[in-house]
Amino acid sequence: MYYMWWKILIFLAMSGVIILAFATPSPMDPANSLGPADAYRIFYFHVPQSWVASLAFLISMFFSIRFLQTKNMKFDLKAVTANRLGLIFAILAAITGSIFAKTTWGEFWNWSEIREVSIFILLIIYGAYFALRSALPDPDNRATLSAVLSIIFAVSAIFLIFILPRVYPTFSQHPSDSVVDKTGKLTMGPMVSIIFFTSLATFTALFLWIYNLSLKVFKAAEENLLEDI
Amino acid sequence: MPRSSVGWVAKVIAVTRKDIVSEFRTRYALNAILMFALVTLTVISFAVGALEPSKEIMAALFWIILFFAAMSGLAQVFIKEEESGTAMILKLSSEGTVIFFGKLFFNLILLSILAVLIIPLFIVLLKTSPANWGIFLTGVILGIIGLSGATTIIAAIVSKATVKGALFTVLSFPVLMPLLVAVIEITKVAFLGGGYKEVWPPMQLIITYDVVMITLSLLLFDFVWRQ
Repeated sequence: MYYMWWKILIFLAMSGVIILAFATPSPMDPANSLGPADAYRIFYFHVPQSWVASLAFLISMFFSIRFLQTKNMKFDLKAVTANRLGLIFAILAAITGSIFAKTTWGEFWNWSEIREVSIFILLIIYGAYFALRSALPDPDNRATLSAVLSIIFAVSAIFLIFILPRVYPTFSQHPSDSVVDKTGKLTMGPMVSIIFFTSLATFTALFLWIYNLSLKVFKAAEENLLEDI
Repeated sequence: MPRSSVGWVAKVIAVTRKDIVSEFRTRYALNAILMFALVTLTVISFAVGALEPSKEIMAALFWIILFFAAMSGLAQVFIKEEESGTAMILKLSSEGTVIFFGKLFFNLILLSILAVLIIPLFIVLLKTSPANWGIFLTGVILGIIGLSGATTIIAAIVSKATVKGALFTVLSFPVLMPLLVAVIEITKVAFLGGGYKEVWPPMQLIITYDVVMITLSLLLFDFVWRQ
């Protein structure tokens, strides 16, 4: 009963975000926008999804390191569940980003755009992680090797996402100053900021809620020795 | 436990020598790598040779050949240990870092043989040649070090899995992407004829990448190896 009010809060916040995202004026000034200004509303949903996907990846890496330190299987469960959810959010982020790209920049996918490459790499990493897990039947083996793989992937992902763009400043249309501009002040108007940050917080809360539930489900399933997890 | 009187470097050389000798008997990995590269090169030559692709495309094609050839053969170094049952003895014989470097140097030697044979064929069959040989060869050497350095631990992981074939390629790709981007850039400049100034950033990237990945692999190798 205690958690009921959190769930109600999340429900109200998400409903509020969805309604306000469409009811308020578009976040982009129609004079500056590259496509129909209304299309920019997807920004309220796309950015939080990418943020949650990255957060899930970081959580999974943290628990992978904890697992290697302690060899406690519960950390392995936490890492896999984070990866599962991260995969779903990464797919969502890729799809919404692609739609956003089509309406504003004119094409569904563009390899010179570093953010698109980053989300693609994240998807490949999740795919490879689950491919390895499915090829290892023994639980101890599986947990250790996928933890090691997680850490290796995290380091290469850091190379790809942060270091490579500095070395190759390729033409990137992703607005880099859309949230905080060079002086550190918010560039979004007050109304847009409220909706955006509420959306961010709500998506994160939603992710944590689903994460919690998934942990309980998978733990119960493992204890019942069900197969095919 | 009594300290061994054999030095660390001698142990690493011993592991590499053992692999070279056993590889020479069957030549399985070497054949796999060479034939794969040859076949890919032939297909490319048939398909686009007459079309005179641009130098940038040549650079990319060169690394496609090397990458996939490496994917087909580099996992063998650990898989053959598991399959012939000698992995247990190897674990007992020396510590993780020795094994890691021994296998890494063996993979390096394999890829070097591949490069020595493929580069002349590439130049002859596709009728191109790099404008700047110095940059080209430096790029190849750095790329080979990166390929073997980053994939040795992945090979160790894959050797413990049940479905070994495609898994190695799938697992190595995200790890090798930064390397491939940088090294294709260097080779492009080499083919087009640029100067060292243009290739210095990607070279720095590759050297950093090599150091970071090898260090990381050393730290994590024991977890994989002791399973």
